[in-house]
Amino acid sequence: MIKREIFEEAIFQAIAKGSTTIAPDVCAAFEEAIGRESRPAAREGLQKTYDSIKLSAQLKNPACPDTGWPIFYFKVGNECQLEGGMMALEEATRAAVRRATGSGFLRATMKHPLTGYDPGDNVGNNVPNFTYQFVPGKDLEVTYVAKGGGSECFGGTRHRVVAFADGIKGIEKVVIDSFVEATRSGGICPPNVLGIGIGGTANIAANLAKEAACLRTVGSRNPEPQFRKIEEDLYTALNSLGVGIMGIGGDTSVLGVNVEYAYTHIAGICVAISSNCMVARRGSFRVTAEGAMEEMDSPNWFEGR
Amino acid sequence: MKTYHLKTPLSQEDVEKLEIGDVVYLTGEAFTCRSRLHRWVLDENHPLPDAGKQRDLLIHVGPIVLPEPDGKWRLISFMPTSSIRFEKWGARAVDEWGLRMIVGKTTMGEETMAMMREKKCVHVSPQCVSPNSWIQHIEIEKVDLFRELGTIEATWSLKIDELGPFVVDIDCRGNNLYKNHEAEVDANREKALADLGIDADFEYTKLY
Repeated sequence: MIKREIFEEAIFQAIAKGSTTIAPDVCAAFEEAIGRESRPAAREGLQKTYDSIKLSAQLKNPACPDTGWPIFYFKVGNECQLEGGMMALEEATRAAVRRATGSGFLRATMKHPLTGYDPGDNVGNNVPNFTYQFVPGKDLEVTYVAKGGGSECFGGTRHRVVAFADGIKGIEKVVIDSFVEATRSGGICPPNVLGIGIGGTANIAANLAKEAACLRTVGSRNPEPQFRKIEEDLYTALNSLGVGIMGIGGDTSVLGVNVEYAYTHIAGICVAISSNCMVARRGSFRVTAEGAMEEMDSPNWFEGR
Repeated sequence: MKTYHLKTPLSQEDVEKLEIGDVVYLTGEAFTCRSRLHRWVLDENHPLPDAGKQRDLLIHVGPIVLPEPDGKWRLISFMPTSSIRFEKWGARAVDEWGLRMIVGKTTMGEETMAMMREKKCVHVSPQCVSPNSWIQHIEIEKVDLFRELGTIEATWSLKIDELGPFVVDIDCRGNNLYKNHEAEVDANREKALADLGIDADFEYTKLY
């Protein structure tokens, strides 16, 4: 049985770490982008952003004040036992979000959609939000994602249904055209980590796109050759657009392109895209049945897909 | 492309000389604003705090700020937010609040740009995400409407020292840096689509 104070602390640490420390795969993508950038203004912008990212880990300060929607992904062992039962997991998460907001790891960003009312602690109807996977074993794994508003609100996250007849060309055109519109005047804070969900109902495709953007490591590849080719072709095509950091022009427009798919009704193929900010933030912790807490570099969300 | 170090209050000459692509660093006094302050003042007709003072530098931002035991405020994080979403209020804010410069991510739309041209006001935007550098150049003076609007929607009065770099994206002659860049990206898009084997006359099957 994992004690409530242990798993609540692991959730809190995932938030604190996720908000303040950028994962090694994202840092590597920054270093690569700085190395290949030919335009001085874009190189300076990337370098200043990267310097700030490194400073945030030292200062234990958020890497970006827009900590956005607090969203949580849990991998729950089939034999995992939690003090208070599974329902205690969401209660513990809400408590951890409140504590993280009070200690400055999260900005009080979540508000009522009609009135703008601010509860001041990022807890309200359907927020924070939860996704679960059940896996073999006794452990609990939590991943916190800070889903920033820039990459979510300004066209970086959307879907379109294309006909099966439109094929891969139709799918790729949706991605290119959506990305160009969304990066006008730097709205979605490019260069982004772009997630793409193909197939399923609109919500299945959108969830896959979000998980591809926020949970796959940058530089990872889909194991299936057809989807891997779409990732590679789109990565090259999107980086040839010249969007650059914050839309000012530059050699890097995306840090990575991750594609996931679902079997679907072929009357219409849903294509969903989800952008993650260049300051891509996530934090993952594992709690073992014995109550030990371990930090993880990757959420391993698609392991065994 | 020039670099300017400007002090508030900003004069008409200070902003008239700025051209799109120029870089500015700012020193002096600034105040912050997001959606709820715009609505509070411009839709609900409450007075803008300190409306009588000459405050001409507005920053679209929602900072992370924590209270200190001595009653002061500690700035934790700061990154300008997207200006384009305030477009419905933009022209009136420039006119009624007497603004000379707005700092914000993205840019403003046609209506605000027209008012900026008329009243001599510019928009500048960050070209990086470096909150941990910016907080070293900002002191918090005070906050208004904290209880009514919440931490990030309240209006913070700031003392800033060489805050930047920000790039001029709207000058006071009606030019927009991003509009000019769109043409380059659109030309690259045609080539990118061709490289993917997607013909220029490709049309989606009309499903809806």
